[in-house]
Amino acid sequence: MWLTSKIKQLLMVMKPGVVTLNYPAERPPVPKNLRGQPVWDHQKCIGCGGCSDHCPSRCILTRDVCQELRVMLYDGSRCTYCGRCADICPEGAITMSNSFEIACDDKDDITTRLELFMMTCQRCGRCYEMEKSNAIDRINLKGFRYDNLEQRALVRTTSETFSPELLKESDNYKRPSDKE
Amino acid sequence: MRKELEAKLIARLRDDVVCVEKTDARTIFVDVKRAGIREAAKIIHGAGARYLCSVGYDNIARDGTLGMIHTFALDDCNQFVCCRTTAPVGDPVIESITPDLPSAGWSEREVTDLLGLRFAGHPKPKKLVLADDWPDGIYPLRKDVPHDLVPKGAEDVAYELDEAPPGTKIVPVGPFHPSLHEPEHFAVYVDGETIKGCDYRGFMTHRGIEKLCQTQVSYNEVPFIAERICGICGSVHATAFSQAVESAAGLVIPRRAEFIRTLMLEIERIHSNLLWLGVAGHLIGFDTVFMQAWRVREQIMWLCERLTGNRKTYGMILVGGVRRDITPEIAEDIRNVVNKIEEELMVIHRAIEKDTSIHKRTKGVGTITREQALDWSLVGPVARARGIDIDARRDHPYAAYDEVKFEVPVLDSCDVWATLVIRVIETFEAIKIIRQCLDKMPGGEIFVEMKDKIPALRHAITVVEAPRGESVHYVITGEENRPERWRVRAPTFPNLQAVPLMLLDEQFADFPIVMGSIDPCFSCTDRVAVVDLQTGKSSSISKAELDAMSRKQQQRA
Repeated sequence: MWLTSKIKQLLMVMKPGVVTLNYPAERPPVPKNLRGQPVWDHQKCIGCGGCSDHCPSRCILTRDVCQELRVMLYDGSRCTYCGRCADICPEGAITMSNSFEIACDDKDDITTRLELFMMTCQRCGRCYEMEKSNAIDRINLKGFRYDNLEQRALVRTTSETFSPELLKESDNYKRPSDKE
Repeated sequence: MRKELEAKLIARLRDDVVCVEKTDARTIFVDVKRAGIREAAKIIHGAGARYLCSVGYDNIARDGTLGMIHTFALDDCNQFVCCRTTAPVGDPVIESITPDLPSAGWSEREVTDLLGLRFAGHPKPKKLVLADDWPDGIYPLRKDVPHDLVPKGAEDVAYELDEAPPGTKIVPVGPFHPSLHEPEHFAVYVDGETIKGCDYRGFMTHRGIEKLCQTQVSYNEVPFIAERICGICGSVHATAFSQAVESAAGLVIPRRAEFIRTLMLEIERIHSNLLWLGVAGHLIGFDTVFMQAWRVREQIMWLCERLTGNRKTYGMILVGGVRRDITPEIAEDIRNVVNKIEEELMVIHRAIEKDTSIHKRTKGVGTITREQALDWSLVGPVARARGIDIDARRDHPYAAYDEVKFEVPVLDSCDVWATLVIRVIETFEAIKIIRQCLDKMPGGEIFVEMKDKIPALRHAITVVEAPRGESVHYVITGEENRPERWRVRAPTFPNLQAVPLMLLDEQFADFPIVMGSIDPCFSCTDRVAVVDLQTGKSSSISKAELDAMSRKQQQRA
C-alpha cells in the first residue's frame, strides 16, 4: 500500500514539472480588468468629493484651502485597490489602471494631488449629489471640507460656507498616540 | 414554532417574558426581563435550538441600558431565535448562561471587556479581548468612547494563565503561532509528551473593525472592510454583512446577483479547501501534498484575478447586489478551470488516500465525541467530522443555494482524518455547485438600488457557511447611514474554544495538526476592539523545532 501510494505521488509530481514563473525576468500579461493603481483625470474631475466620501480605507482627502481652491489628495500607501472610487465617480475621472508594480521608497511616488479651481454652486453652495439614486450611496459630507493633508487624516467636519477657523483648527489636528 | 416557544416560555417564566415576535419568515425575537434570561436560554436550547453567539450593544443614550442578545438556530426548520434582554448601565449585571452552554463563555467575556456588562456565575471571568494593560473602566464599544482612542498603557501587567495541573510542565506556544503564522498564545500543560490541558490567550490582532464600521464609514463601504476581516473567507463576510443589511431593510436583490454571490462563495471554498489541504500536509511533514495542492490552487487564484480584478479580496459584493457581471466568456473560463481542478485534485486524492503515513498521523488524533462537539456547538467540517449533520447552505438557504443540489458529507470517526476527507469531498461538491450555477443562472440585473434610507434600529441576523464553518453576522441598523451595531462571529470562535478538549491526552507533537485541523483563523476571531501592543514574552520553542518534532513523529509513525 505504502509503495503504490509513493509511486502515485511520484507520478503526480513528475507530470506538471516545474511550474514556478520566472518573474521578473518574464512578465506574463496582466488580466484586462485587473484593479491596479487608480489614475485621476484632472480634466474630468469636478471636485465633488464623492470618492473621498466612499473610500473604505479613507485614503482620499479633500481640503478647501479657500473659497475657490480645493485640494484632493490620494494617498496610495493606504489604498486597498477596491476600485470603489472609480465606481462612484459621476464623471468617470478615475480609472483603475493595470499597473501593479508600485513598490517604491518614497510615499510621494504613489500620491496623487489635484488642485481644483471651484465655482460656487447657486443651489447648495458646494457639492454635487448628481444622479446617485441609491439612498445609501449619497454623499454624506457636503459643503466645505478640511481634511488634514500633512497627517493624512480625514476630519469628519464640514461647513456650508467656507470657514477659516475650521481650516485653522484642522491644521492642529494630531493623530492619536499614547506617546506623551 | 413561534407559538410553541411562546407557550413554553410563558409557562415557565410568566411575567418575565416581555414579548415573542416574528419579524420575518425565519427570525423569532424573544424579549425577556433580566431575571429570566438564563431560564429563557435554557428553554430555547431545550427546544432543539443550537447556540450561535451572543451580541452586546450599547443603548445608553436612548434608555440608559446595555443590551444583550443570545442567538440560536433551529436547523431543522430554518429559523433563528434571538433572545434579548437589557440591564441598566448603573447595575450592569445579568446572569451568565455559560454554565448551561459552555460555548457562550467567550461571547460573554467579550461583552464584559467591550461594553462593561458583567455576568453573574461565569466560570472564568477573565479578560479575553482587551489587552492586559488596557485601563479599567474604558469600554471601547460604548458609544461615548471615540474610535481612535489610544489610552496610555500600563507597565508590568501580564495575563495570568490558568494554574498548571500538578505534575505538569508548561510549554508556551506563541505569542506568534510557529507554524500558522498568526498571533495567538497557548500555554500547553504537558506531562512528558502528553498534553494534560491548555490555556489560550489570543486576540492580539484587534483591528477595531466593528468599532470603525459603527462610527466612521457608511453601509456600502463596510463590505470592503468586512472582506478584510479574513484573508481567506473574505466574500463570506461581505456576503453575510450585505445579507444582514438587506434583510433589515427588506430589500430583495436580483436573482442573478444571488447566483453570482453563490458562485463567488463556492470559488472561494475551492481555494480555501485546497489551501487547508496543503497546510495540513505541511503540518504533518508531508510537503508533497502542500506543493501539489497549492499548485492546483494557483489556477483558481488566476481565475479570480481575471474575474474580479484581484487574486483575493474580490470586492464583488455590495449591499444590493454584486459589482461585476459574469459574461459568457468568463463563464466558459470558469468551466474550463474547474474541470482542470477536478481532474488534478482527483490525482492528488488517489495518491494520498491510501498513504499509510498520512493515516498514522491523522487517524485517532484530535478526537472528541459527538456529544462534546454538540455541547461546544462546533461548526463546519470540524462538526461534520464528528457526526453532526449541519450545513448553513442546506439548513438556512441563502443566495441561490435553494436551487442547487449538493451533498453534505458527514463522517463519524471524530478525528483529524475525517476532517481532511470532508474538506476534500466538499471541494468536489463546490465544483458541482459552480457548474449548476453557471447552467441555471438567470439573466437580468445584478444590482438593485435602495430607494429610501434604511430605517434605524432594526435587527437582523444571517449565517453564511464559510469553508471552515458558519459565520454569523448580526446587524442593528443605525441612523447615520451606517450600522449601529455589527457583530461578526467567525467559525473559529466556537471551534477554538473546544481545542483544549481536542488536545487532551494527545501527544505534544500532534499539537500543530490538531490545531490546524480546525483551520483556525485568528484574524477572524480577533476582529473587534482596539489595537494595542501586547507585552508578550518570546516563545521558547521555534517553528523549526516544532516542525522538526512534528516530523520526528512522522518518522516514528
